[in-house]
Amino acid sequence: MSDLANGLRAEQHSAIVERPDVAVTHISARRGMLAGLNDAARAAFGVEFPLTPRALDAHGMTIVWAGPEQWLLIEPASKGVDPSLQHAKTFSGFASVVDVSDSRTIFQMAISRPSDVLVQSMGIDFEDTSFKPGDVAITHVSHLGVMVWRLPDGRGYEFACARTYTKDFRSWLDRF
Amino acid sequence: MRINCPFCGERGNDEFSYLGDASVVRPDASAPDAADAFYAFAYERRNVAGPTQELWYHSAGCHAWLVVTRDTRTHEISDVKPAQDIALERQNSASTTP
Repeated sequence: MSDLANGLRAEQHSAIVERPDVAVTHISARRGMLAGLNDAARAAFGVEFPLTPRALDAHGMTIVWAGPEQWLLIEPASKGVDPSLQHAKTFSGFASVVDVSDSRTIFQMAISRPSDVLVQSMGIDFEDTSFKPGDVAITHVSHLGVMVWRLPDGRGYEFACARTYTKDFRSWLDRF
Repeated sequence: MRINCPFCGERGNDEFSYLGDASVVRPDASAPDAADAFYAFAYERRNVAGPTQELWYHSAGCHAWLVVTRDTRTHEISDVKPAQDIALERQNSASTTP
């Protein structure tokens, strides 16, 4: 491997970090309650939940589309505070709200351009013109279910995988 | 074969699971011929050479149930809709039928 390739490889590895500092809440709209849910979201966060595979920053958190009428709310964790309790109050009657902080691992890759790790891991077109800042994809990496989104400000990419598979997913990323 | 998920966009079929014929409709359990109708519902399938409606599940993606219209001779996919929309259409047409 050339020095250049070695350098790029090292840069990619150092750029992948697990985020231990986040609370993750899963929101799932109840049947027929999407309009009410979005009214509540607008009142609480100033934005509506995205209805297509998009992520957006609002109210100090990242809101990530997680399937039809489902979202992940990812925000900084503070000790002894469970943000999902407040979200459950906000969306009471409109959505099922579950704290999934302990069942998801969030990885962040601080790179501005798609790397080999992304391009060779997933069957997604990561070209800039196809996967723009704020775009989200739910897919798999060697049979491990993964959500990936490009940070809305373009600073990099984040991944969510089941915590059970954290080591396997990390091991897969480290192969590149 | 690639399937154009209405929610996620076009993906390889490795992300989907095939669940069978989407044209069958659960019979009325209170009908006098319910036993025969349930037998047909569970076991009898047409072996179509041409366009069919199939249930697929986006298991490695958004977890949506989809109704895919696929030609069994060419694998050409002409339509993909959320199964929920098809179910609602059937429900609405059943409720408006006298």
